[in-house]
Amino acid sequence: MDRRSRRRKRTRKFLINLVVAVVAFVILAIELYPIAITVLNGFRRDIHILSGQPFKLSQLTLRSYQLVLKNAGFRIGMRNSIVVGLLSTFISLLVGAMASYGIARFKFKGRNSLAYSFLVLRMLPQVSLVIALYLMFSDIGLRDTISGLTLAHTSFNVPYVIWLLLPFFTAVDRAYEEAAMVDGCTRQGVFFRIFLPIVAPGLVVGAVFAFLNSWNEFMYALILTGVKAKTAPVAINGLLGGETLTWGQACAAGTIMLIPVFIFTLGMQKFLIRGITAGGVKG
Amino acid sequence: MRRKMSSKKLDIKQKNATSKTNKRTKEGKARGRAPFLFLAPAIIIVFAVLIFPILFSLVVSTYNWPLSEGAGIRRFVGFGNYLALTQDSEFWNSLKLQLGFIFIAIPIELLFGFAAALLLNREFFGARIVRSLLLLPVFFLPILSGMTWRFMLQPRYGPLNNLLIKLGAPEISWLGNPTTAYIAIIVQDVWRMWPFMFMLLYAGLTAIPQELLEAAEIDGAGFWKKLWSVIIPLLMPTILTSVLLRIIDALRVFSEVYVMTEGGPGSATMLFSLYTQRQAFGYQKVGMASAMAIFLLIISIVFALTLVRKNMSLDVLEEKAGA
Amino acid sequence: MIYFHWENKTPKEAIMKRPMLIVALEMVFAIALVGVVSAQTINVLFWDDAYPRTLMEKIPEFEKATGIKVNIEILQPPQVFTKTSVSVTKERTDYDLVCVDEGNIPLFASLMLPYDQWGPGKIYKKIDPNTVTPAMLEVGQWDGKLVGLPINGNLYVWMTRKDLIENPKYKADFKAKYGYDLGVPQTFQQMLDMGTYFYDNGIVSGGFGPFNGGPAGVFGEAIFMWYSFGTHFIDWINGKPTLVVDKAKAVEGMEFYKKLMKIAPKGAETMAHVERQAAFCTDPKGVFTQFNWPAQIASYEDPDKSLVSGKIVYSAPPAGPSGRFSIRGTWAVCIPLATKNKDAAAEFVYWWASKEIASWLVEKNTVPARTDALTDPQFAKTKPWLPAIAESMKYAVARPRFNEVAEVQDIVKKYWIMGITGQMPCNDAMQKIIDETKNVLKKAGY
Repeated sequence: MDRRSRRRKRTRKFLINLVVAVVAFVILAIELYPIAITVLNGFRRDIHILSGQPFKLSQLTLRSYQLVLKNAGFRIGMRNSIVVGLLSTFISLLVGAMASYGIARFKFKGRNSLAYSFLVLRMLPQVSLVIALYLMFSDIGLRDTISGLTLAHTSFNVPYVIWLLLPFFTAVDRAYEEAAMVDGCTRQGVFFRIFLPIVAPGLVVGAVFAFLNSWNEFMYALILTGVKAKTAPVAINGLLGGETLTWGQACAAGTIMLIPVFIFTLGMQKFLIRGITAGGVKG
Repeated sequence: MRRKMSSKKLDIKQKNATSKTNKRTKEGKARGRAPFLFLAPAIIIVFAVLIFPILFSLVVSTYNWPLSEGAGIRRFVGFGNYLALTQDSEFWNSLKLQLGFIFIAIPIELLFGFAAALLLNREFFGARIVRSLLLLPVFFLPILSGMTWRFMLQPRYGPLNNLLIKLGAPEISWLGNPTTAYIAIIVQDVWRMWPFMFMLLYAGLTAIPQELLEAAEIDGAGFWKKLWSVIIPLLMPTILTSVLLRIIDALRVFSEVYVMTEGGPGSATMLFSLYTQRQAFGYQKVGMASAMAIFLLIISIVFALTLVRKNMSLDVLEEKAGA
Repeated sequence: MIYFHWENKTPKEAIMKRPMLIVALEMVFAIALVGVVSAQTINVLFWDDAYPRTLMEKIPEFEKATGIKVNIEILQPPQVFTKTSVSVTKERTDYDLVCVDEGNIPLFASLMLPYDQWGPGKIYKKIDPNTVTPAMLEVGQWDGKLVGLPINGNLYVWMTRKDLIENPKYKADFKAKYGYDLGVPQTFQQMLDMGTYFYDNGIVSGGFGPFNGGPAGVFGEAIFMWYSFGTHFIDWINGKPTLVVDKAKAVEGMEFYKKLMKIAPKGAETMAHVERQAAFCTDPKGVFTQFNWPAQIASYEDPDKSLVSGKIVYSAPPAGPSGRFSIRGTWAVCIPLATKNKDAAAEFVYWWASKEIASWLVEKNTVPARTDALTDPQFAKTKPWLPAIAESMKYAVARPRFNEVAEVQDIVKKYWIMGITGQMPCNDAMQKIIDETKNVLKKAGY
């Protein structure tokens, strides 16, 4: 009796997982349709993409990729995007996690006001901020520099990370930290050695989206950089023809731009899984 | 190095209002400097970078301030810009469109994301791949996303348009008609951002301990009861946060919509963010754009002080987490 | 995670040090990689289309000959406008050379070095302004001074499908139906007749290719129609831009364009450059006739991008009831007053506008502004658009230009499109344009 009911339970679970897998892949297929089109168009000539004719295997070509990779502006842009992205993610995550911890854990006067002011600052439109930032950066020599753009990106990523991490942070039981502090650990030690591993899933999400915000950011990059520090979105912008037909190249460049973020996320996902299997948040 | 850092923090502490004084908490240790050690870097970076731009916006909003010096003298006009805005039908239209955008797109994204998080919260074949690939639209460069949707919706060669016609839809120029253009930009946003909700909610879901769910099952709770009494309450902080984060991003949406419709046809998709840009860069009226930004700032503050405080103040968050 | 590795130092120390180090390293890396800063460098802001992109291929020659390094920023026209506005003031500039669209010359004129104050040039001699086609030269002139050198010969040129008008079957058929010969449309009525013929018989996807993209372009189409039907829109009278439009004639122009929209390809309500190019060049059936900017010709004649390369006949635009007109849209290249590299920048312009480079540019299917390059007989056969452009120049008119033109363009675009697509009666649309434009001009103090 026991074995049969267990087997029935297992087959039931297997069937459910199968159905879920099928549904999941269908959802994925629908959702990725526009991206699939873009990726595909990166391998076709403009003359076919815009003709409305159905796709044929004979249309495939690597021409667009060759042109894009030869484009020095695009290469510089990719490199700068990666550098600025990694830098601003690292800084924002560290600084943001610390601040979020400070807000979540300590009850001081003005705590709410501080948290809300971070939130409100994040809601301002870039348009009105960018002109002032340009004037500021021009005066102190940060215009068209990696560090300048990183600073600008960090200014919107830090509040974002703070608010993204708050629910993850407030959900953690204080017991762990208190126990550690009774054992003589400092606040900072508790934070880095005990707390952060527990909230790893939240940190992963924070890192991914901070990187993404910086990676895809256009306005600050356009106004605050010139030839030296320009990023990939600015470089791609030229391919999205006001005047000329470079649709294939735009798609190729866009596909190339997806790769670093995707790799970053895959890498981070490992931490996500590790964070879960390492015992989870409670118990 | 360590000593230098500490004295820097002490300086900042002295600079800050003395209302943030020592208090002994139930944690049993004097916390004097601790909060500031954690908060100082963030405060320094964000406020140092943004304080001038905010003051600039505030001051410039009271000026007639052309973007280029070549346009002539920049004059003080007091509340002139604000007055002009209140009389500008395009301004109110853009506000209406932006709020509509937010109140339609975000709930849909939440629904899809939540459903997907519940569905995919198990280890089925290819789960990790699906969860990673599902995020691709969020990673897609916004300007490219807009161009792709514009491309897909074109009559004659747009694949989506051709598909819709095969399914029996009338042959309309989606981006040429005011109503359908608005729907199109909302669909684009939902398509792009519901996986964002999914990722946040999924991360939150994985943090819910199995025992709680099993306990509910033992008590005889079915799927819906589990959902309403266990999962949603525990997930509420994450839900609220993801909605909040989406709102602050949706308020700044620009490239995708601009590239799809340029605010048209007419002004059917001229969202607040697009209109602000149009004022600043198109008409060169930085004073007006700044007034719009300050207007948005005030709305954001009101929003933060009312809705956010009610549902998401830190005390409330802690309560809900049961910590 | 990070904290695992810093057992010896306090976490704070280790982490605080690292970002600084990384940032420092990156700055060195970035500077080193992008290139050694040479003796003289100029920063140039180009607009993005086939012409500057073609020029970029030749720039290394200039750099070698003069030892001047050219840093190029190439952006879409609206962004060129924004960056010029932000970056160039009387005291400060990020660029030694900027390209300015003709409509923006009034705005930037006071910030630019007048041409007569440019240096004589070392290796390349100063260009005589009279080498620039007269129709183009006035683009660079404002307030009695030449503030920039017009650098491309951009104005409406008309494209018609040669293969369609030479097809004997269509010729016979058309003659039978309409009573006159098929050919390059010389009048609006002919354009409508021929376009309708091809469209109704399913021979083309569009009998006419409108432009309903960016505001400046739509404004151009509107001005084109209004002039062709006998009315100006805004003229400078007594030093002020004044609304002079004759509503009745303007409405006629709009109504005619509305008729043309009925034979336009599907999706024409939002057709910008990319969609027009797709319709004309890559659609198997294509479009019968439309205006185009010479800047697009390179793509339209590229067999790799266009199914109709070699099948296009160029002409001046057809004539409306009040005459033939073509809209000008030329770029000029200017040197900001605040630059510290006046002579190097001027040297670059002299090289760019020289006969040698202009001829090379013509060879590459782009259209500079030098008369001698454009009328060089060796090109007349191989570049059939050149004689057409020269012809077009006889009828060149400019869109009105004044500081607030951007707002007016938006108003015109909004209601023009509503009128021509039937969303609003043309009469009402025109009235709206008039009322709101009057408002803008009044608020601007005119």
